[in-house]
Amino acid sequence: MSIFIQIFLNSLETGGIYALAALGIILIFRTSNTTNYAQGAISMFNAFVATYILIGTNLPVYIVAILGMLSAFVVGVLVDRIVISKTQNMDPVSKQIITLGLLMIFLGLAPMLFGTDPIQFPRFIYGSLTILGATISYNAILNIVVVIILVSFLFYMLQRSKWGLSIRATASNEVVARMMGIPTSIVTMTSWAIAAALGTLSALMLAPSTSVSISMMDGVQIIAFLSCVLGGFQTFHGPVIAAYIIGFASNFISYYISSIWSDPILYILILVVILFKPNGLFGKKMVKKV
Amino acid sequence: MKKKDNKLVMWYKNKKPYSSYILFGIILSVLPILVELKALKYSYLTTIASILIYSIVGLGLNILLGYSGLISLGTAGFMGLGTYLSAYLTADLNLPFELALLISIAVPILVGILTGLVSLRIEGFYLAIATLAISEIFRKVFVEFEVVTNGFSGKKADYPTLLGFIELGRNGTFILIVAILVVIMIITYNLINSYTGRAFLTMRGSESAAKAMGINIYKYRLLSFAITVAYAGLGGVLYMHFVKYTYPDTWTLLLSLNILAAIVIGGIRSIPGTILGSFVVFGVPDLILKRLPIIGQFDGLAYIFNGVLIVLVVLFYPTGLIHVKEKFKRKNTKLQKEEGSYSE
Repeated sequence: MSIFIQIFLNSLETGGIYALAALGIILIFRTSNTTNYAQGAISMFNAFVATYILIGTNLPVYIVAILGMLSAFVVGVLVDRIVISKTQNMDPVSKQIITLGLLMIFLGLAPMLFGTDPIQFPRFIYGSLTILGATISYNAILNIVVVIILVSFLFYMLQRSKWGLSIRATASNEVVARMMGIPTSIVTMTSWAIAAALGTLSALMLAPSTSVSISMMDGVQIIAFLSCVLGGFQTFHGPVIAAYIIGFASNFISYYISSIWSDPILYILILVVILFKPNGLFGKKMVKKV
Repeated sequence: MKKKDNKLVMWYKNKKPYSSYILFGIILSVLPILVELKALKYSYLTTIASILIYSIVGLGLNILLGYSGLISLGTAGFMGLGTYLSAYLTADLNLPFELALLISIAVPILVGILTGLVSLRIEGFYLAIATLAISEIFRKVFVEFEVVTNGFSGKKADYPTLLGFIELGRNGTFILIVAILVVIMIITYNLINSYTGRAFLTMRGSESAAKAMGINIYKYRLLSFAITVAYAGLGGVLYMHFVKYTYPDTWTLLLSLNILAAIVIGGIRSIPGTILGSFVVFGVPDLILKRLPIIGQFDGLAYIFNGVLIVLVVLFYPTGLIHVKEKFKRKNTKLQKEEGSYSE
């Protein structure tokens, strides 16, 4: 039983990290109509920025994390202003290729600016707690709580605020939204910025257990995409729930079946689910008009 | 009076695309001789051979991206699968090269079709995500399945032996690669101009129109992905038997991106464009950027160069570098015409 609770608590933490990354991807997908393959690379890049701030200034870790998210915010705005805003009238495939180009630029810039060696990143707080025989660190509890608060806040904003309304309007039909006086280019810009900040936070939550390195976000990025696939690209909440499901599945597979082959088994399982539920667990059928 | 061209030139002009592909092959075949005469460094020959191999893989990806509008991020993974299969079959099981070649292409096709069956039914970008996951699975297999793949130590193989008795050396393998490239160029050209190719073209123009004409989109998407994967497998086999060494870290997402960059930069839906693109993407960093003072030392320079080129080409020359000249020409004639109309 204690092992089960242990895995459950671990899954809540990893699921939260995946959920942040997935939320970033779905935000961009809904507003810019493109899958952003550079999401992981932008997060990794800004995790490096945060790490360098930490080494250079010795500020407390949570302030460094906020600074890292701010720098991600700026990077997101820059990427949108310099490149993405110029692609508004392009077909989705060209946009995807552009994000792949951005991915290459960030993967090239990171080793040039920060070197190729992995760097350790500390936890936000230290110490641990025992619940029903399972040990959980205070840091994990903090991560779980922060993710839940942040995600709930974003969903509340999406449903209730003017900003959320304009994002949902842009997502449902950009041209009509623009005609109704919604500044769609600013909406797109903020969603790129917020997505970058969310991704960076997920990278910094992941960093203490691995390290800050060029390939740190590769696995998270794939899982974030797969959660969007599993949850369906049509809703905001689908990918987040799917990310938690994948977090649980991943931890249970690696404990009960095989730790080496957990990722391949997980990926294949998700693809099999897609075979039966092509629009995802929570998705509606996409209707295309000619 | 116009002088009559001699027979060879006439033939060249009449059989236009084929003859220029063959001419291209003949010119490349001279390179090993230049190396033997010490007029060309051996390292250049290796670079050019890998460029040609990536061109073969790129031609396949070009069919997928150019005609079906789908992106595969698993190209490198499928190539890697080809290398490991071919190395295992020829070095460990001592099968003849030709049989190993066939199996190393057939297995990736099978895996590719399974991937396609799952992901191609929905939106186009599902294939990119599925192939991203599949190539990660391949990498895991390359590292962990040590009995066959030798794990992180990598796997070795020899130059190919054709028909059981023609043992090829370094130069022979280079010429084999050139010959296969020319054949693949001709096959691709014929494919694009066949019934299947026209179906691809219709699909690209408008999926709904293609459906209305009775073209089964799912089937043709699957077919184009199968072709891509087959070319990647073939490229993998050639890589294995020219470089003679394969290693899990070669077959990463970055290589898939580089191959994608080659066709986007060179020219989508263009056979010479793909080859031009491969020379730019794989040749320029190796032959020029690395030799620059100071900035040439940095690791990521090649990726930044290719990434910036992708963004610029997609933004300003969506048809690729191969068509830049025509675009300039058109612009000039347009300008002249406009000037003319003003003066009148």
